[in-house]
Parts: sequence; C-alpha cells; structure tokens
Amino acid sequence: MDIRKVKKLIELLEESGIGEIEIKEGEESVRISRQGNGAVTTYVQTTSAPTAAPAAAAPAAPSAPVISNEEAAATRAENTVTAPMVGTFYSAAAPGARAFAEIGTEVKVGQTLCIIEAMKMMNQIESDKAGKITAILVKNGDPVEFGQALFLVE
Amino acid sequence: MNRKFCLARLLADGRLHSGERLAHELGVTRAAIAKQVKALNELGLSVHALPRAGYQLVHPIELLDAASIRESLSDMAAASLGRLEIFDELPSTNSHLVDAAPLKPGSFAVCLSEFQTAGRGRRGRVWLAPYASGLCLSFGWSFAEPPQPLSAITLAVGVAVLRCLAQFGITNVQLKWPNDLLHADKKLGGILCELKAEAAGPAFCVIGIGLNVRLPEDSQRAITAHGGLSPTDLATVGTVPSRNRLAGALINELMNTVLTFASQGFAPFFDEWSAADALRDRPVRLVSASTERFGVARGIDSLGYLRAELDGKIEQIASGDVSLRVPL
Repeated sequence: MDIRKVKKLIELLEESGIGEIEIKEGEESVRISRQGNGAVTTYVQTTSAPTAAPAAAAPAAPSAPVISNEEAAATRAENTVTAPMVGTFYSAAAPGARAFAEIGTEVKVGQTLCIIEAMKMMNQIESDKAGKITAILVKNGDPVEFGQALFLVE
Repeated sequence: MNRKFCLARLLADGRLHSGERLAHELGVTRAAIAKQVKALNELGLSVHALPRAGYQLVHPIELLDAASIRESLSDMAAASLGRLEIFDELPSTNSHLVDAAPLKPGSFAVCLSEFQTAGRGRRGRVWLAPYASGLCLSFGWSFAEPPQPLSAITLAVGVAVLRCLAQFGITNVQLKWPNDLLHADKKLGGILCELKAEAAGPAFCVIGIGLNVRLPEDSQRAITAHGGLSPTDLATVGTVPSRNRLAGALINELMNTVLTFASQGFAPFFDEWSAADALRDRPVRLVSASTERFGVARGIDSLGYLRAELDGKIEQIASGDVSLRVPL
C-alpha cells in the first residue's frame, strides 16, 4: 500500500472523531487506531491467503477470527502469544484506558498483554515471551478461539 | 479512621442524634458535623437533618465487622481463611485482591468494602452502590490445576449465591447468563471474576460479588437512569438479613463452591443453574463489539456456555452481552 495513502488515512483519522479505521485492498489491509492518549498508531498487514478474508470477516460467526494470519502463526510459533481460552479479546483494562501493549512495546515474561473475557471472567493474559511486540493480530472486542495467535513478539 | 466514617458508626443505630452530642463525641464543631453529614450523603447514605433536633439515618444499618463475620464461618472456612479485610472505602475489592500478595495454597482471602470508589461491573462499567447499602465482597483463591473452562466458575458462583440466600428464606432469585442475579427481571446483584494464570500453572482467581441489600430509592432511580436492568434489593425481595451473617454465609458457600469446582468442574452446579435460568426460551439480543444479533436463549450446556438459537441453529456463546428482548 502506498505510504502516502496511509499518511492521508492518518490525517483523516486525526481530523475526525473516529477511533479506529481498517481498509482492505486486495491482499493488503491497514488498520489505524487512536489509542487512549490521543496518539495514533498504525500497522499494515499482508494477508497471505486472500481467499480466507471474506470468511474470516463474516460478522455472523462469533467464533471466527476477524484477521486471519494462520500461516504467520504457524511458521513463527516461537514468537507468537496465543489465546489460552475462547472469549472476547480486550486490549485494555477498561474502555478508554490505555492498552496493555501496543506495537513496539517492549514486554517482559509475565507482563499482562490483554484480557480475554468469557462468561464474565476477565482473564489477564500474561506474556510467556520477552521482546518487542511487532504485531497485534486481533482487534479490541474481537472474539478469539483457543490457540488463536494474538501477538507477535520478537 | 476518616471522620465521616466515625460519624457513620455513631448514626448506624438509626436513632436521632443531636448535632451537639455528635460534635462532642467526635471532638469537632457542629459545623464540622454538618459537613461530614453532607459527605456521607454524597456516598449515598441517607442521613436526615432535622432542624434543631439532630441527625438520623432513614434506616438503621449494620456495618461490616470482622469479628461478626468470623462468628458465622463454618469450621472449614474458618480454618482456610488466610486474610479477611474490611474497608470503609476502596477503589475496588476485586482489584485489591488481584494486586495483593499471593496466598498460601489451600487458603483464601476475602475483602469487603462498604463503598467502592471505582467499583467495577463488567468491562469497566460502574457498579453504583451507596455506602453500606449492600455487599461488595471479593474472594481470592488459587486453583492448583484449574478445570477447563475455568470461566464457568462465574456460573457456579451464581449457584453459591442462591444457596446462600436460601438460608435466609430468599428462594425466588433467578440467574441471567452469565453473571447477573435477578428477581422479577430486576437486578439484585452481579458477579465478576478475574483471573491471573500462568500457562499450565496455578490460576489465581478473584470472585467479586455485588449484592443489593437495601438500596435507597433515589439511587435505584439513578441506576435505572444509567441504563441497563432496573435494580432491586433484598429488602424488596424478602427480608433484610444481617449483613455480617450474610457475608459469613456467602464465604462458606464460596469455600464449598471453589473446592467442588476444583475437583469436578461445573457439572455439579448444572441442574441448579438451569432451574434458575432467567433467560431460558425467551427472546434475547446478543451484542458483541461488532455485532448485534437476535435469537432465543435455549439454556446452557454442560460447560456453562449459553445455547442460543440463531436463525434456527443452536450456537454456543462464550462471551458478549445478552439482554432480554421485549417483544414489540
């Protein structure tokens, strides 16, 4: 995706009241979200299997991952933090609060990365790896499956 | 202790206290008493100021007391009680236990607060409970080998609360998946569990329970205005039990519940939960961050997941918001 286009999107987001925007173009998608502190973070993701995207994006299936990155997860398992349970992914302790981890955050083993909620049990998911977060593979509020890749840590 | 809480103790008996007498007992001026009364009113405690006579609570309150709670504990619960802490105010009893020092295996911690300044409902929603109007109780326990899914503990705790209330003659309470306690479709209380777990290691679980004992009318109105289910309280549903005995009975039931759940999972709670299911065969709205769907609740499965009939098919629901849909 053209970097100028991404820049334009960031400007658009900053001017508007929108918290998060995701644009898909063929095999590429970009998601830009405004964090609690008002700063805007961006990451671009290339979907390796474009045919999987329509199914994955279907909102009717609560258990379907919205962003599928199965290949990346499989090839880089040693760098992946996965969901230990079925539930809903939350990036922060409360709506509007600062996210536990963002792209670029240096994390330690045992550091809380997110919350997964099921049956109103809020499960603090701790990192079992140390390093820098290079990708967040799910969005705040997404349903996640057992074993689904959540974060890439390098 | 903060002066306003000393004043609350003097007023708790529900009798009329002259401003002069209160000022003398607390060693402050009468103007300072008036100020503290205002501070208590701001915590939701209804203190009537009677001109030239004094101050009086609208209803007497039984404040929480560690010794009284301990008296109500079963031998087993008393033997396993690691810590019992009671606060006049605290940001959140759940957060307090989540952040507290680890417990010895096989022992549990309990934290209660008369008022929570950041009381949490699900996903950061405010739990509005005036000072001493109910029970805000958190119970911390470490599961050495947690059964899966551990999240069904929320439902098991719902059954524990029903068993506890039955001891006080309150039997007509229902459960709304996954964590609400209802009476006649009004909210009597709620459960919120938090978990800190190591991969394949012990799981530290904090069970938070909020129960309305006597909720003043103005705060009932405020909660209704906040949206969601209308509240109700034990005073409306049945009787107002001793809050300390209620806390003790709840701790006993929670102790039994975590032990049973640790060894047998959710199965032993399934029948009682299903019998109290408030949503069964009723139209519901399922809301998650990105979707809203309509269907019919069809009970729960053996693991505690909600069975929802959506477009003629049964789906297993693990999370999200479920609300009763009033037919138009």
